[in-house]
Amino acid sequence: MNKQFKILKSLAIIWLLFVVVISILAMQRGTGFDSSIMTLLPKSQQNSNVQNATQQMTERFSKRLLLLLSAEDEHDVRQAVAELATRLATMPEVAEVTWQVNVDELTQSQQQSFPYRFAVLDPTVRAQLLNKDFEEIKTQALLNLYSPINMGQTKLIEDPFGLFSVLSLNRKNDLNIQVSHTLLKVTNSQQPSYLILLTLADDPFSPALQNSLLTVITSYQEQFNNKGIDLTMSGMLLHAAVGAEQAKQEITTIGLGSLLGIIIMILLVFRQLKPLLLMLFAISIGCISATAVTIMVFERVHLITLAFGAGLVGVSVDYALHFLCERRVRTADTIMSKIMPGLILGLFSSVLAYAAQGFAPFPGLQQMAVFSVVGLSSAWLTVVLWFPLITSNDQLSPLIMASKLDLLRQKMPRLEKHPIMIGGLLLLLVFLAVNSLSKNSNIDDIRLLQTSPAHLLEQEKAVQQQLAASSSSQFMLIQAKTMEQCLQKEEQLHPLFNKLVATGLMGGYQSLSAVLPSLQRQTENQHLVTQLYEHKLENFYDEINLPQSVLLDAQTQMKLATSQMLTPQIWQQQLGHTMWQDLMVSDHQQGAATLIRFKGELTQDAKQQLQVLSDNDNEVLFVDQVQALSDLLGNYRSEVINWVMLAYLIVFLVLFMRYKRQVWRIVLPPLLASIFTLAVLVQLEQGINLFHLMALILVLGIGLDMGIFLTETRDAAHTWLAVSLSAYTSLLAFGLLAWSDTPVLHHFGLTVLLGLSFIWLLVPLMRKEQTRRYE
Amino acid sequence: MRYLLIFILCLPFSVYAELSFKQLEAISTTPEKLQGSFKQEKYLSHLEVSLNSSGTFSYQRGLAIHWYTLEPIQNELIMTENSIINRQGDKELVNLDGRSNPAIALLSEIFFAVLTAQWQQLASHFELSGEENGKQWRAELIPKDKMINQFADKIVLRGDSLLREIVLYESNGDHTTIHFDDLQ
Repeated sequence: MNKQFKILKSLAIIWLLFVVVISILAMQRGTGFDSSIMTLLPKSQQNSNVQNATQQMTERFSKRLLLLLSAEDEHDVRQAVAELATRLATMPEVAEVTWQVNVDELTQSQQQSFPYRFAVLDPTVRAQLLNKDFEEIKTQALLNLYSPINMGQTKLIEDPFGLFSVLSLNRKNDLNIQVSHTLLKVTNSQQPSYLILLTLADDPFSPALQNSLLTVITSYQEQFNNKGIDLTMSGMLLHAAVGAEQAKQEITTIGLGSLLGIIIMILLVFRQLKPLLLMLFAISIGCISATAVTIMVFERVHLITLAFGAGLVGVSVDYALHFLCERRVRTADTIMSKIMPGLILGLFSSVLAYAAQGFAPFPGLQQMAVFSVVGLSSAWLTVVLWFPLITSNDQLSPLIMASKLDLLRQKMPRLEKHPIMIGGLLLLLVFLAVNSLSKNSNIDDIRLLQTSPAHLLEQEKAVQQQLAASSSSQFMLIQAKTMEQCLQKEEQLHPLFNKLVATGLMGGYQSLSAVLPSLQRQTENQHLVTQLYEHKLENFYDEINLPQSVLLDAQTQMKLATSQMLTPQIWQQQLGHTMWQDLMVSDHQQGAATLIRFKGELTQDAKQQLQVLSDNDNEVLFVDQVQALSDLLGNYRSEVINWVMLAYLIVFLVLFMRYKRQVWRIVLPPLLASIFTLAVLVQLEQGINLFHLMALILVLGIGLDMGIFLTETRDAAHTWLAVSLSAYTSLLAFGLLAWSDTPVLHHFGLTVLLGLSFIWLLVPLMRKEQTRRYE
Repeated sequence: MRYLLIFILCLPFSVYAELSFKQLEAISTTPEKLQGSFKQEKYLSHLEVSLNSSGTFSYQRGLAIHWYTLEPIQNELIMTENSIINRQGDKELVNLDGRSNPAIALLSEIFFAVLTAQWQQLASHFELSGEENGKQWRAELIPKDKMINQFADKIVLRGDSLLREIVLYESNGDHTTIHFDDLQ
């Protein structure tokens, strides 16, 4: 016995040294934490142009902050806009403030575009020309001449038909904005509303930037509120700031609350500090080695891994508590042989369930698998190697709580005693649950990962809607060898898009070729205008009695204008191009890419048609980030289900080998609890998602441990106490997350809360009636 | 005698007092409905030609202005506060919606306000100067907003209890005179 003890001791020391060494190694590598959802994507799915375009869009959107001021009194808002914008412009955190329009620049920009008036045409004018509706264009020009309202300047020689006026009149901004007295006024709003557009100088996730900028804005917001001016905002910055704040708050309230609850309970039950410290020791070793190994293997630990991987803490507590409770009634040299089989089976079932996820072809799941398996095994090893050593001199002292809890359990009816009543009740419940589950629609919406509170998202949505801003996550990517080819491709797509807009399936779209047509299209346009001149110019001048000399002048001007083409190079030097330049993704020797943006949310029909287009044409790619990421979550979900089911099948076989026909007592409670939990979740939440399932693995792990440990010790009172405590600690640690404002944590927490409660109620029902012994 | 001369010389100045939008509101009336005929002359400075047209118009306050040009071509222009529709016979030629086109919104808002003498609205877009003499008045509107300069540098209005004449001056020297008759 002494020799065995020595071996155990050296093994324990080796184990601790190993943990220390690996931690130091990991620390030297530096801890990289990653929160980008893109790194969870399987590598091959990403295309470099898509990545560039997405990055470009994301960067632009993430650094943008839209401030919308509105009030009943026009004058008050305008003053507030000027005041706030001037203040913000002085801040180093702000790279650019856009809030007023320089009319001289606008005029200059129009002058720059005027030479290309026949190369770049308004789409309706072009349609008329293609239709040979020359008479109509002439009539329209005459009507404009005699109209009391002047739509742009009359230039009877340079542009007798007023084609340029039509173009500049119809060219729209990408936002619902009208310039009113040089300020940016939102059209269609009930109250006068004005926009200030900020571009941040740095990453919106920088806490320093968040702090100083939001302090200033919030102080203005309060000041404005007192005057009846409403200030709403939209931008990544707000979400980033709120996210940080929320996490901090929830950790302090929920986190501290549950920790306190656990500590008090453990102290109450054991009436000693030592068991608590031991428990924390095992959990810490588990977490430390899991993090260290994950850093060694993957370089950077994803925050999601940490969040869900931490779930293993709940399972690892099982081992510690089982030992600690059992140790009260068994001596140091007999305990291990008694509980070892249970511990091994418990570890085996949980490790298998977590490891199974690693087989799914997703980096995210692989990371979680490594983290969980290492964490669980480490906590287990710590319990097995260290606990007997540390508690070797402890006296036996049965726990009062064990007998109290045992009495409570006695009162629970047993399935075998009342097979018809309980069995019938369970069958009824299963029937109801299956019925509820059949109505389940899976939710794999990526917006689940959205951590922002609802009120912020609503404000964001309201601002975006008011401005009719285009989506940053859905776009069409056009890729070709040259820019000219890209533009030509876009022009081929216009008819389809116009149809989608006309039938109301799409709110609108923005494409580069609308402002910079392909050279092919420009030549065609010039040719069409030449035809118009040939047919109608003389006739037009006759009707307003202008002399022959004017006709000749006009023809000279026309020849001059048709000799000029708007090349991408010239376009990029024009003042007006900045608003559209994001649409040009790249233009190199190796190839060019442009993108087409959509206004508002695309309908399902529109998405489908765009997808078909994208599938059939390799120059065109429909990118729907929201959908792509949602699909990814869906794939994760189904992969998780498949692998975990397989894992549990193996667990079941192994358990069957040991427990034979008694295996149902172990397997049925977690199984039923899972079904019930899912059924309730379907009713409470709108559907089942990946995060519910991740939590369910934890529930299953604890549930199986419960059954295994109880069976191994033949339902000893102290085992019942141990597994009850374990369920209770997990409930506190994770179940409380059900009250989190962060959707992901809420889903996780609610599942644990329901699942563990069901298991705790179901397990006693299925136990065998034992001849009572008090241990 | 000398004092009388001074008094007479001063007379026009004292009678033609400085004008404010409030005063205009007091002098001029904006009936619920009004119709009449108009003559329009558009002068194009660089060609030194004038384009003349005439027709009738009618409006209902708050709803729409119908502007029928009869000579030399027939055309109907319907203006509401946020759109401009151009019709020839039954055919709708152009329909410009101010809700999607800010320039149109501004244009129709101002034209609507000028024709129906909504001085309050004009006050937010223009600086006013001018004079009044009992029932006659002349108002000169200078845009506060450079955006408006794109289609009018200056607007001159003349009238008594009703608006009688509008002159729109453009920055390139062109100007448009609209004269109203038979108002009822």
